[in-house]
Amino acid sequence: MEAYLLIGPSLAGFLLFLVVPIIGVFALSLFSWDLVGTPQFVGLANYRRLAGDGAAWTAVGNTVYYVALNIPAQTVLALLLALALNRKMRGGKVFRVLFVLPWMAMPVALGIIWTWAFDPRHGAVNHLLSLVGIAGPNWLTSTTWAMPVIASVNVWQYTGYTMLFLLAGLQAIPEQIYEAAAVDGVSAVQRFFKITLPLLRPSMFFVLITNVIGSFQLFDTVFVMTQGGPGTSTTTLNYYIYQQAFQLFHAGYAATLAIVLFAMILLVTAGQFLYFRKRTVYDFS
Amino acid sequence: MLKLTTRRFAATAACAALVGLTAACGGSGSAKAGGTVTLTYMIWQDSEKAAYQASINEFEKAHPSIKVNLELVAWAQYWSKLQTGAASRNMPDVFWDHLAYLPQLAKEGIVTDLTSKIKAANLDTGVYSPKLLAQWQSGTVTYGLPKDWDTIATIYNKSMLAKAGLTADQMNHLSWDPATGGSFVAALQKLTVDANGKHPNQPGFDAKHVKTYGIALEAPNGQQDWWDFGLQNGCKLQDKAYGKWTVNTPACVQAIQFEQDLRDKWHVAAPGSETNTPNAASLPQILAKGDAATTFDGDWDLTSFESAMPAGSWGVSALPSGPAGTGTVFNGLSDAVYAHTKHPAEAWELEQWLASPASEKLVADSGTVWPGIPTLNDGFAAAWKAKGVDVTAFRTGSEGTTMGYPLTTSNTTFNTIVLQDFNQVWLGQMTPQAAADDVNSKSNAAITSDN
Repeated sequence: MEAYLLIGPSLAGFLLFLVVPIIGVFALSLFSWDLVGTPQFVGLANYRRLAGDGAAWTAVGNTVYYVALNIPAQTVLALLLALALNRKMRGGKVFRVLFVLPWMAMPVALGIIWTWAFDPRHGAVNHLLSLVGIAGPNWLTSTTWAMPVIASVNVWQYTGYTMLFLLAGLQAIPEQIYEAAAVDGVSAVQRFFKITLPLLRPSMFFVLITNVIGSFQLFDTVFVMTQGGPGTSTTTLNYYIYQQAFQLFHAGYAATLAIVLFAMILLVTAGQFLYFRKRTVYDFS
Repeated sequence: MLKLTTRRFAATAACAALVGLTAACGGSGSAKAGGTVTLTYMIWQDSEKAAYQASINEFEKAHPSIKVNLELVAWAQYWSKLQTGAASRNMPDVFWDHLAYLPQLAKEGIVTDLTSKIKAANLDTGVYSPKLLAQWQSGTVTYGLPKDWDTIATIYNKSMLAKAGLTADQMNHLSWDPATGGSFVAALQKLTVDANGKHPNQPGFDAKHVKTYGIALEAPNGQQDWWDFGLQNGCKLQDKAYGKWTVNTPACVQAIQFEQDLRDKWHVAAPGSETNTPNAASLPQILAKGDAATTFDGDWDLTSFESAMPAGSWGVSALPSGPAGTGTVFNGLSDAVYAHTKHPAEAWELEQWLASPASEKLVADSGTVWPGIPTLNDGFAAAWKAKGVDVTAFRTGSEGTTMGYPLTTSNTTFNTIVLQDFNQVWLGQMTPQAAADDVNSKSNAAITSDN
């Protein structure tokens, strides 16, 4: 009983600010509502509309494409940085701070700066490319390049943050294990794949779960840099939801799309849980 | 990776769920303290803020018991903010209204019908331009009093014009046709220069390295570019007010094709990669950087050109005429009074002041915007003359063939699809016909099935 009293306040917050809105969104997905008038009950009409809405499925495809660009690049880079900084080196702490700085900056401000950098005529990126004789493309107005640019901006921003968690994981691996391996004549490559990676699993699990969820919810960089364009090439599902709710004022349909995004994230996260559960996690604490 | 949408969305949904219980999602924009009423007045144009603040200062002097907070919300966020504000009953008491959104606001019952108040106050509406006033009336209701008007004209860089051997008078009499381009394209060819100093009609012109384009055309929905070309070509965007969209008729498609040709065939207009919303620099910035020699823009941007470019370095001329003659979009704004304001009497006082000859004169004489009261037009022109800029072209345009803003309940869909498709047309990735068909069918569908 006492336990319930103790978790009471946070439980109330959880119910009021998470469960109630989720139920609210689900209920809203059964209505047609322009945010102002009286909502009209339409049953499953919004879900039927979704089935025939090519733009929504394009947005789902764009979202998956973004996650596929973002997560592997970000995770591998963060791991390499963490491995480098885990060695005892001069100025290691300075580098650690430098790598985390982009994460501390405001995404909207960064979006504006990177938009300048990728400007085809006056931008720094194409200027640098021209120095080595390459004519850079029109990055953000090209249907081919816009999404990779957005992904790279996010990789740049969040790699340092991911690196922090992996570095903490690396530092939790007891030195003796490596010493024992060295005595047994295990090569550096083998040490990485047989010791470091398996023992890093708890950190990797956390990093992947949170980053994948965050990637599926990509909004701000798209909002600032491309507004979903050119065409619909960077319209992620979350941006499409925003468009439907706050530009077209189709609140009911936007709620339906939000449910779809929620279900997608739930499925992918459950898959990750299953994958990691099958594998042993070592605990040194 | 901010969860902005989901959060805002959840907040709105939660708000909707709770509204019945507490009726308190965000307070009203107005408050009463010690007998003083505070009103919120929301506008979107930064360059007009100073003039309206000056007008409000006068208002507050005459009405000591009313305070007015001038709130600036950029155009890109303005309508989302209004709509979510209406949902949570957290609205400005008085706000700028635009014809593109008026039908929707009226349908939702957010804006006050001022008819009875105008009658009770014995207001003389004869002072306003009848064309402007009519836009804010529908049947027997009046949703606003004309605050200002705007047309589109050509803005040019004086020294570039001189270098190309063109005079201001020539600029006022250019004409185009879709086949040969006419004197308009010929002038733009003289103004367009590549890195080696060659023009597009000369052998060896390098279209990939253009130093200055003859013209930069930029408009998220078409008001400053293809609507005007369309009108000059006999295109009608709708069959009638509140009617069906007719964007895919031959006259319209031909005009859109002409604009695409300016970029891709004649190479005299800055490519979509430099002018597409949202990544383009603003038109005043494009001219200031020397990336283009001329542009089409509305008079609301005059103060931005003034601050971006050296004094005396730029001028204004008429739009070119097309196969069907001259033509420009003619539009105007009004102030709307929120239908559920807690202070309807004070809000009406403010509305009356803002639309009064005294306030409109103050704003017009500062050169901020053309007034809704025609007799005050000279004040605006004189303000710019004093700064060395002749703005007659805007006025001439308003007196010639004009088109008003399309009146429709499907405006939000139209804007969204136009932005999506026309960005691709200007990049040469979609044909004008395909874009026009898509815009037309989706916007027409939104008229009937709008929820």
